[in-house]
Amino acid sequence: MKRYELIIIGAGPAGLSAAIEAASNGMQVMVFDENERPGGQLFKQIHKFFGSKEHKAKERGFRIGEKLLKEAEGLGVEVQLKAAVMGIFDDKEISVMLDGRVEHYRANNIVIATGASEKMLPFPGWTLPGVIGAGAAQTMMNLHGLKPGSRVLMVGSGNVGLVVGYQLLQAGCKLEAVIDAAPRVGGYGVHAAKLARTGVPFYMSHTIKEAHGDSCVKGAAILAVDSSWQPIPGSEKYLEVDTICMAVGLSPMSQLARTAHCEMENNPLKGGLVSICNKYGETSTPGVYAVGDVAGIEEASSAMIQGRIAGAAISFDKGYINEAEFATRYEEYQNSLMQLREGMFGHKDKEAADMEHTEEGYILSQSLLSKGYMDAEEIEEYPGVYPVEQRGKGVFPVIECTQNIPCNPCQDACKRGCIKVSGKITNLPSVDASVECTACGMCVVSCPGQAIFLVDETLAPGYASVAIPYEFYPLPEPGSKGLALDRSGTSLGEAEVLKVKSSKAMDETAVLTMKVPVEWSMQARFFQVY
Amino acid sequence: MTMKMERKLIQGDFIPRADDELIVCRCEEITQGEIRKAVYDGMFTMNEVKRYLRAGMGLCQGQTCSGLVQKIIARELGLAPGEVEISTSRSPARPIQMKQMARDGVKK
Repeated sequence: MKRYELIIIGAGPAGLSAAIEAASNGMQVMVFDENERPGGQLFKQIHKFFGSKEHKAKERGFRIGEKLLKEAEGLGVEVQLKAAVMGIFDDKEISVMLDGRVEHYRANNIVIATGASEKMLPFPGWTLPGVIGAGAAQTMMNLHGLKPGSRVLMVGSGNVGLVVGYQLLQAGCKLEAVIDAAPRVGGYGVHAAKLARTGVPFYMSHTIKEAHGDSCVKGAAILAVDSSWQPIPGSEKYLEVDTICMAVGLSPMSQLARTAHCEMENNPLKGGLVSICNKYGETSTPGVYAVGDVAGIEEASSAMIQGRIAGAAISFDKGYINEAEFATRYEEYQNSLMQLREGMFGHKDKEAADMEHTEEGYILSQSLLSKGYMDAEEIEEYPGVYPVEQRGKGVFPVIECTQNIPCNPCQDACKRGCIKVSGKITNLPSVDASVECTACGMCVVSCPGQAIFLVDETLAPGYASVAIPYEFYPLPEPGSKGLALDRSGTSLGEAEVLKVKSSKAMDETAVLTMKVPVEWSMQARFFQVY
Repeated sequence: MTMKMERKLIQGDFIPRADDELIVCRCEEITQGEIRKAVYDGMFTMNEVKRYLRAGMGLCQGQTCSGLVQKIIARELGLAPGEVEISTSRSPARPIQMKQMARDGVKK
């Protein structure tokens, strides 16, 4: 039986990060993953990540995956793919199904980083072809280049539903609606706004009643629910869709932790059944750690840091780093993790969060929470919106970032220092009107929430230009005409494309500048090709 | 070791619900009605329902339905879902062919 110093189960963001940390300290590491490709869910994530520079913010998920993999390989980490771990036994023995046979290994330490699976919601018709998990839709589109369907209903308004919804639009699907039984949009407002301004309707306090169709989905009936989740008679709506995407949460894949006799708890805040871990991720079974989604559902960014912490703790435990070194690293990683858990969507505050005000005291847009977009009147209140009296001088940025989320790439994007996220990483960005904007557009493309726009009300008499982030192919040609849509996706009227800027540094987010009548300057936020 | 569990069956008759036909365990095609009936037959834990009906014994090994089954049992018994005893987790955690299992320990 082959023995390793450290065996990691799962080559996703958490597992690879634990491997990198341990291997960089000199440990001999083996990673098993049942999939054909490493990287876990990262390789499906084509959107730019939130966070700070240290969290690899504004990088697209799959590129983060590529970097992690390269780093792990460079450090001599062995990654064995198509290797399904069957169980963890006494004395940290594990059995692995590999090449059609069962192999046994033993480790001094084990890190369980098996991730999560998608939750499902049973309703009449849920077993029809066409009802799929949002993650499955993402796999089809982003790994295999297949459109899951033509007309899609997204069930669930958390970040998974919103992000996958946007990717469905990018793949050319029509998103007929996003529904959620909760009264408020569950994910980041900026993600919701990206969908809403293309015209996707949000039905909050709505649930799916049934899927229609004999051999595949032909439609879906949805209905409104009251505050105690009871259906409201007569509220039924019928949507003609061929695909129903379920984004109703993730559940930790904790079977292996249970075979290792780890003490478990049912924690709804963590997504279900998880092993009880200490602050380093160690379970009640000594030497066995659990990190990433299997230890509690969070974002990939948090999973990477948890992996780092476990890797460092194991390295210290086995004498590869000394106590002082471990203390320094732990503090650094822990601070970084805490930053990501701040804010109204944070790990801890999810239940207790104030849904009326930001931490700084700005009023939270209730329209954004209930409809997915902000009303035009609300936007002027926020610190990222350039003051009205200064707007006659030329181009100015409008940052429609109005909720406390852990993200700050915008402040580094502006070389002139016009944008600041002072204090906590979750604070709203503010613009400094004394700094002249050069309209370089880097803030527009660096915002993972696509919430920054550049407006020039002095373009020509009666006309303004509005520059928006744009990620749909083919890119419109300068001079072409289309419709300017407002935040709700309602057409304001015709707009002309002035220019479309795209470069390697912008990483596939183009800046599209359109010419609109000046009275639409604070309303036009999307360009729809005719 | 013999242990006799003291339990009373649920009082009253099994009352069918309109949504009893709903499939809950997709892999084994077990309906909500069958699970509810199993509770009335005295199956109060996940292990019991699993052995009685095979719910959670299919390809996904209960990864999708176990939470749903747990909720149904809890509702019938008037408990919080977390109070329903969960089923045992044991190797193999993934479906495996018998011939692969048989090759365990055999030299290449």
